[in-house]
Amino acid sequence: MAAKEAEHTELSEEDEELREDLAPGNCGTSMLIATDSYEHLETENFKTSSVVVKKRGHIHDIVRQSSQEHDESSGNEQTVHVNNVGGEEKLTPSHSEDSSGDQSDTSLNKAELTTVIEQISKTHIIEEDDDVKTPEWKQKRKHVFILSDSGKPVYSRYGNEDKLVTIFGVMQALVSFVQDSAHDTIRSIVVGEHRVVFLHHDHLILVCVTRGSESDRQIRIQLNYLYNQILSVLTLSSLQKIFKQRRNYDLRRQLSGSEKFLDSLLNMMETEPGLLLGAVRCLPLESTTRDMIAQSIVQHAKVKDLVFALIIANSQLVTLVRMKKYFLHPMDLHIIINLINAAESFKAAESWTPICLPKFDSSGFLQAHISYLDEECQTCLLLLSVDRDSFFTLSGCKNKITERLTKYNGLKAISDSLRKDSYNISKCGIADLRHFLYKNKSTAQYTSPELEAPYLTQDQQERLFGLYHYLHNRIHSSTRPLKILYHVGQYEALLGWVTEGFELYAVFGPLVTKSLAINAVNKLMAWIRKEASRLFILESVVF
Amino acid sequence: MLLGDSGVGKTCLLVRFKDGAFLSGSFISTVGIDFRNKVVEVDGTKVKLQIWDTAGQERFRSVTHAYYRDANALLLLYDVTNKASFDNIRAWLTEINEYAQEDVVIMLLGNKADMAGERIIKSEDGEKLAKDHGVAFMETSAKTGMNVELAFMAIARDLKMKKTRQPADPKFNVAEYVDKEKKTSGCCS
Repeated sequence: MAAKEAEHTELSEEDEELREDLAPGNCGTSMLIATDSYEHLETENFKTSSVVVKKRGHIHDIVRQSSQEHDESSGNEQTVHVNNVGGEEKLTPSHSEDSSGDQSDTSLNKAELTTVIEQISKTHIIEEDDDVKTPEWKQKRKHVFILSDSGKPVYSRYGNEDKLVTIFGVMQALVSFVQDSAHDTIRSIVVGEHRVVFLHHDHLILVCVTRGSESDRQIRIQLNYLYNQILSVLTLSSLQKIFKQRRNYDLRRQLSGSEKFLDSLLNMMETEPGLLLGAVRCLPLESTTRDMIAQSIVQHAKVKDLVFALIIANSQLVTLVRMKKYFLHPMDLHIIINLINAAESFKAAESWTPICLPKFDSSGFLQAHISYLDEECQTCLLLLSVDRDSFFTLSGCKNKITERLTKYNGLKAISDSLRKDSYNISKCGIADLRHFLYKNKSTAQYTSPELEAPYLTQDQQERLFGLYHYLHNRIHSSTRPLKILYHVGQYEALLGWVTEGFELYAVFGPLVTKSLAINAVNKLMAWIRKEASRLFILESVVF
Repeated sequence: MLLGDSGVGKTCLLVRFKDGAFLSGSFISTVGIDFRNKVVEVDGTKVKLQIWDTAGQERFRSVTHAYYRDANALLLLYDVTNKASFDNIRAWLTEINEYAQEDVVIMLLGNKADMAGERIIKSEDGEKLAKDHGVAFMETSAKTGMNVELAFMAIARDLKMKKTRQPADPKFNVAEYVDKEKKTSGCCS
C-alpha cells in the first residue's frame, strides 16, 4: 500500500485553494462552551481542580443568589442543601501533565522497567484459574481498568475485578514506581501490538490496554471521560473526602449500580465521533420548529433555580435552554446523553436523580428531573435544578411542556426527524464523497451524514472510525500541527482541514485527486452553509 | 415510599401493583428516585397514591433521606433469599426513625417469597423482627403477585382512615388488618 500524502501547515497560494471564510454554523452566542482542538480537553481537568481551590462552584453561586433574593421574605436558607465540601481544602493536582504532549519521554531506568514488566508476565503464570487466563478475555480489543491510588480495583471493562487484583497491583506498582524513582509520570508503554496508556488523576488511576487505532492522547481523552463519568456519580469533593478519610477505601461500594454507565460510555466512544471532536450532534429540525420547542420550555419552565432544560432524542440535542450566565460544556452533555442511554429505568417513570456535571461544577450535584415525553420513549426531557425540593414543580412544568408540544406538533416533528435518520451523503450532491465530519468550533456542534455502503458492517465502521482517528491525530499532532492533510490510503482518500472556526474530516473514494478533493470540500462547505439553520442550533435561548 | 437494599425487588413490586406485570429478564437498577401515581378505591372513596420508588444503592441514601419526612407510608423490603438485605433492615429502621415523621406507616415486606428453594430467611424471622419494631409484616412476591395488592391497599386504607377518622372512632391498625388478610407462602398457596 503506497500512501501518498500532502501536508500543509500554511494555506497554499495555489489555484486549488480552499476558501477559508466564516465557519458555517456560526452564531453570535452559543449555549455550549466552545471547544477547540482536543489538547484543551486533555488538560482542562486540572484547571477545574484549580478552580475548586480558588472559589466555590457555580452551584454554590446559584444557590447563594437565589437565597439572597428570598432572604428577607422567608429566611430559610438552610432548605437548600448543596454538597459543597472541599471548597477551602487545598487541592494539589498530583501530577500535572504538561499539555505539550511529549509522551514517551520518561527518564526512567529501562532495566528497572523491564523487571516490572517481567513481573506482569509472571503474574500471568500464577493466576492459572483467573479470568485473565481465558482466551476471550485476552482477545478483547480494548481493556479499561480503573483503580485507586493504593491499588484497589474500582472497575474493569471485562472480567471480575476481584479476580484481577494482581493485575491491578502491577498497574499500581508501575505508576508509583515511575513516580517515586524518577519523579515523573508514566504515560504509556508499548508492548507488541498493544499499547498501555495511563492517566492518573485525583485518587484514581485509569489504564487502557488496546490494540485499537487511537493515539495515546486520544485514549487519554477517553480515560478522562471515564474519570468524569465517575465524578458525575460521586462529585470530586466526595471522592476527595472519601480517600482523605480512608486511603484504601473500596470505591466500588459507592459506585455499585453505575458500572453500566462506564460500560456504555466505552461503547459510545466506539461509535460516537462527538466524543473525539468535543462536540454535540443536533437533531435536524427546521429552525422555526426548533424555536417553538425552545419557547415551550421557556414559557412553561420559568422556575427559580432551574439551570438547564434540554430535550434529547436518540443521542441528539433537540434544544437547550439555559440560565443566563451559565453554559454547558459538551463533555458534560455527553455525560448526560450517556446517562439516559444507559439507564432503562427512566423509561418507566418520572425520575429525580442527582447528577454532577464535572465541567460545570465538580463540587456538587444538580438535581435532574428526567422524563420521556412520548409513548415510544424517544424524546427525553431533562430539567436540571439546584433545588432539591422542586420535583413537583418541575413535574408540573413537564406536563405543561408536553401539552404545548403536542398541541403545536413539536413531538411529531421530532419523531419525523428521527424516522428520517439524519441525511444521506447524496443530499450534498458531491460525487465520490463517502462520509464526513464537520464541527463548528464556536458552537461545539458537529454534523455528519448517515453511514452508507461500504461502511455498513461493524468491521468497516471500525475501520472508518480508525481513519478519522488517524486524520484527527495527524492534524492535531503536538509536534507538527497541520491545517490541511490530504492522505491517500488503500481504500479511500482522506482530507482533513482545520481552521480557526471549524474542523472538517472528509472521506473520498480512493481515486479522488487532491484538487478534486479540494473542489469537493469547497462545495460541501457551501452545502453545509445552506443547511446550517437545520443542522445546527444557532440560537441560544435563555430563561 | 419504597425502601430497601439494592436488588430486593422494589421496582418489580411497584410494577406488579401498578401494571399487573412482572419485570423478568435483566436487572434494571433504579437511578435516583422514580415517581409513579396510582389511584385506588377504598370502600367507594378514591385514594391517590403518590409512590416514590428509590434506588437501593448506598450513594443515593443522602438523596432519599430528604424525602422521608414527606412520606406518609414506607414499604421496607428485604429479599428472603438474601441474608444481607434482611440484616440491613435494622439499619434502615434506625434511619427511618431519624428522618421520617412520627406517625408514618411502616410495613416490612419479605419479597421473593416464591423462591422457596433459595429461601434463607424464614417467615418467622421476619415476623419477629416486625413485632420487635412494632411494624406490619408480610411476605410478598412480585413474580406471582402474592400480597402485593394487599400491601398497597392496606396503606391506602390506613391513609384514608387517618384522613376521615372521627376522634371517637377506633384507630385503624394496619398490622392487625394485614395479619387478617394476608396469605402465607405455605405449601398450599
